Amino acid sequence: MSTGFNLESSGRIILRLDEVERMMLISLCDQMVTLVTPQERDPDADPLFALVGIEPSVERPEDEVILRLFPDAYSDDEHAASDFRRFTERDLRQTKTNHAQTVQETLQRSGEKVVLSIAVAPSWLGFLNDVRLALGSRMGIDDDFHDEVVNLDEDDPLLAMLDVYDWLTYLQETLVQIMLA
Amino acid sequence: MSIAPAEITQVVEQVDPDRPWITMVWNDPVNLMSYVTYVFMTYFEYDKSHAESLMMDVHEKGRAVVSNGTREEMERDVAAMHGYGLWTTLQKDD
Repeated sequence: MSTGFNLESSGRIILRLDEVERMMLISLCDQMVTLVTPQERDPDADPLFALVGIEPSVERPEDEVILRLFPDAYSDDEHAASDFRRFTERDLRQTKTNHAQTVQETLQRSGEKVVLSIAVAPSWLGFLNDVRLALGSRMGIDDDFHDEVVNLDEDDPLLAMLDVYDWLTYLQETLVQIMLA
Repeated sequence: MSIAPAEITQVVEQVDPDRPWITMVWNDPVNLMSYVTYVFMTYFEYDKSHAESLMMDVHEKGRAVVSNGTREEMERDVAAMHGYGLWTTLQKDD
């Protein structure tokens, strides 16, 4: 596994990846884009809604991963939460799509040495967080999760997913430490 | 610099009818403590010690009020927090 992000004295942020890790991240970008990209607009929809970024109707997601990425803004008011979705979810989906695409563009023009400018670092942080939220939600992660997985069979697919999750956690932690310094 | 006594400023803040809504960030098992601090510093422009103190409240008490203002302002803050991936809601400050 790689050593995480490092800040060079020149101010550039460097991440060294082997090819498997690079392809893994590119694939996760693809999956995130598929998961969050806003749907094409209905061509018959009121153009005024499109103009101001409002969806005429947005259902509350049933999938727990999507619900974690786009949570209810009001915990005790369904109607207000639904209105909030109509006004904000398309932009939020676009933000998360942009993060994943920015990361993917950086990776596709990189070899084993990935060089980040400070300008794209927030997109990397956002993307790493979105993927960890998605994986964590799919795995049903909680505070005791790492203690409980010791009871799983060693070929349980959950363990492979947890390896990826822990690696992404490490990557995000090293990048956020650079951004906080 | 204000010439008003500090106590009076405090009372005025508490009864200000234009700021009755709050933005609440909730604890979750995925978000890193360092990342939550980073978000509070980046978006709200809080200094590091204030951002860390709010983050610790989220972590230890399960939630923290991170901003207050009009309903529209709080909806803007909540949308931004959702953009960062923080589990956030708004409510009237009773």
